[in-house]
Amino acid sequence: MNEPQAASMYESAKKIYPREIGGRFDKLSKLATVTLLGLFYFLPWLLWDERQAILFDLPARKFYLLGLTLWPQDFPYLALLLIIAALSLFFFTALAGRLWCGFACPQTVWTEAFIWMEQLTEGTRSQRMKLDKAPWSLTKFRKKASKQFLWITFSMWTGFTFIGYFTPVRELGADIFAFNIGGWTLFWGLFYGFATYGNAGYMREQVCKYMCPYARFQSAMFDKDTLIISYDEKRGEPRGSRKRSVDHKAAGLGDCIDCQLCVQVCPTGIDIREGLQYECIACAACIDACDSIMDKMNYPRGLVRYTTEHSLQSKTTHVVRPRMLVYATLLLILVGGLVTAMASRTPVILDVIRDRNSLYRELPDDLVENIYTLKIINQSNDARSFTLSVSGLEGLLLDGIDGEVHVDGGGVLSLPVRLRARRDDASGVNEILFGIEATDDASVVMEEDSRFIGPTP
Amino acid sequence: MINEEYRGAQQWSRNKQAVFTVVWISFLSAAIATMVFFAIFDPVELGAIFDAELELTHDTGYAAGFFFFWVLCAICSSVTAFLVRTAPKRDAKRRRR
Repeated sequence: MNEPQAASMYESAKKIYPREIGGRFDKLSKLATVTLLGLFYFLPWLLWDERQAILFDLPARKFYLLGLTLWPQDFPYLALLLIIAALSLFFFTALAGRLWCGFACPQTVWTEAFIWMEQLTEGTRSQRMKLDKAPWSLTKFRKKASKQFLWITFSMWTGFTFIGYFTPVRELGADIFAFNIGGWTLFWGLFYGFATYGNAGYMREQVCKYMCPYARFQSAMFDKDTLIISYDEKRGEPRGSRKRSVDHKAAGLGDCIDCQLCVQVCPTGIDIREGLQYECIACAACIDACDSIMDKMNYPRGLVRYTTEHSLQSKTTHVVRPRMLVYATLLLILVGGLVTAMASRTPVILDVIRDRNSLYRELPDDLVENIYTLKIINQSNDARSFTLSVSGLEGLLLDGIDGEVHVDGGGVLSLPVRLRARRDDASGVNEILFGIEATDDASVVMEEDSRFIGPTP
Repeated sequence: MINEEYRGAQQWSRNKQAVFTVVWISFLSAAIATMVFFAIFDPVELGAIFDAELELTHDTGYAAGFFFFWVLCAICSSVTAFLVRTAPKRDAKRRRR
């Protein structure tokens, strides 16, 4: 990539030191962080029927979700679920802007946790800036080392938790203390841990600015009725500093005292007063910052607030509008489809594989034989018996099994089956139908078609 | 002033943007591709088709598949980024139009 004007790729971006600010939205954001991270770190330890409640058992190719066991054949459900997730994101973006970015995105949530650890070890914003400028000393080393210690420990724990979703976490814990963990397990744990460390510790808002596709296209879901965080220019301008005692309106000033607090608290380093910018992740820190100043100045709150473009232009905001109806309808249809499909999901799968080696075999007494392998997958957690049937051809005879077949809970049975028919009935290619039915539950049935081939007369 | 310190200061160079974007987007695409692919194919059965001697474990199979997709997607993304960025610029006259 020959770009003569481009600077070295290692040129570091100027570091942002977000200032800490209390307030309503800060509380909300902390609540979201604690809840989401709490769920992430806790869920692998949750038990269900004496096994891990959520486990993506990749070697066994089974996903356990609470009482549900999902198989590779259930992949369409996962695809549908992902589409629903994407559509919900569109819906909530159109309704309330970048709620996802500000409160729920893992990038934001982990960055919050890392900044909290930074504050714990290095102090407030101005202390951190001073520390970075100061020459290396024992104190600086101690502060930086304890920050790194916290960050790295937390990252490792994150990596460990991540693999805990794929490997039984209790055994994993014991294995780690015994220094007995598999190569790939260790690799993915370190990989995820390192990604957390890099993303939340160093890259932070750069990920949103340069690497996140959603941040770039979310504005396509916006309209003039979407909830955004905005500075009220009409009320705030002309900005300027003043004494508290001064009647600013008489002095020709707006409500903005130009204290820069909204800029200092911004994790992406923008000035909200310049209007809606795509760097804004809608974390609402600037609202808290501005409200605290408005309180001090005895001005009404909300110079920076959640609002809509229409409301800023003193027009009515419509929550219900065609865009919302379309998103909502699609969402309802898809969720309804998923629920129906899951509810009517038969916990058994039948696969029929025709023997590849011979089309048919002629037997004495004018009989023809075809050979199949039936694969019966019992997706329920309990052992089951099934009765087998076959139809589609007169006088079809099932050989190789006597009565019921038995399949363990979560087991796969490979069953060789011979079918016989009279030569006269079975000339050429005939469509036939295999069926199984659970002996304990007549609603658990599954059919699969195949072909019976005989000699052409 | 504090404001000056922030504004426009925190910018990644174009090359850094390109490298990290390619790595990240190809990572996401590879994750999806791996999920879909291995939902259909079992890596152990697949390994046995190519080489009966090969004793592939699931872990190795999934990892190999993932890295294969990651490299493939990264090649695709980076060539796209390269072509878009190095395309001949429209000349000044036409741009003014």
